[in-house]
Amino acid sequence: MNAEKKAAAYRLGVTTLIILAVLTAVEYAVGVTINSAVLMFIIGLIKAAVIVQNFMHIARLWREESH
Amino acid sequence: MGAVTTPSHHDSHAHGPEISWEVQLKSNRLGLWLFMFSEVFLFAALLVARFVLWYDADLGIVRPELSQELGLVTTVILLFSSFFMNRAEMAMEYGDRKRFLNGLLVTAVLGTLFFIGVVVMEWNILGLQGELFGIELFGHLKPADGVISGIFFAMTGMHALHVLTGLIFIMVVWNNGRNGHYSPEKHWGVEACAIYWHYVDVVWVFYYPALYLIGTAVHAM
Repeated sequence: MNAEKKAAAYRLGVTTLIILAVLTAVEYAVGVTINSAVLMFIIGLIKAAVIVQNFMHIARLWREESH
Repeated sequence: MGAVTTPSHHDSHAHGPEISWEVQLKSNRLGLWLFMFSEVFLFAALLVARFVLWYDADLGIVRPELSQELGLVTTVILLFSSFFMNRAEMAMEYGDRKRFLNGLLVTAVLGTLFFIGVVVMEWNILGLQGELFGIELFGHLKPADGVISGIFFAMTGMHALHVLTGLIFIMVVWNNGRNGHYSPEKHWGVEACAIYWHYVDVVWVFYYPALYLIGTAVHAM
């Protein structure tokens, strides 16, 4: 059970990295082609939300501690 | 950054109810997030200043001429550092001490590379020149070059300062971890360090396009 949770936690980290890398690539492409400030801001918001949720674990703020 | 302090002999006579680890942890988390929230105003003010002051009546939103490649590389480096920080935190949570220590070291190395990329290469504090595959390696903006430069150095400087403090934080946590100060059950120092480092990444998520991508590139004014 613990090994499964551990593997899932590492997997989430890798998934998050891939999502952020893809979004960064899209952001760069938007920047050098159509240069839409609104689109880049939206991409930035999505990236920030992914980091806050998956890396910063904001949900722990209202979670009961199980340790 | 130890969340739970073992009461000393003197403290044991102190009055007041004892606070449980769970309650203290929740308070620590809330305190750190409130601190982060207060910092949002600082970084947001600089971001707003960028859009207000980097505006040209004819061209609309403008930006300084910066090396796109250097900006992208430093951004990717910071992104990977966040990944390794998360890996280190998860390793501590699941009792993998070796991976935790290695993850922190990799994060620190990548964070240092990012810092060098901004301060040594983009700011070009050493006044260097050079190209690699036709890519300009060193920036040319100077703080006294005008409004664009002023905002650029204020934004990157404030961010770099947070990177630097984050690196110090990481090394303190690494040293504590090496000395066995954390356990899978109690590692608030590691969690706080990770949150702080990811926050630095979140700020760059907005600063990177604002500095390097949005607007028409112009010479400093």
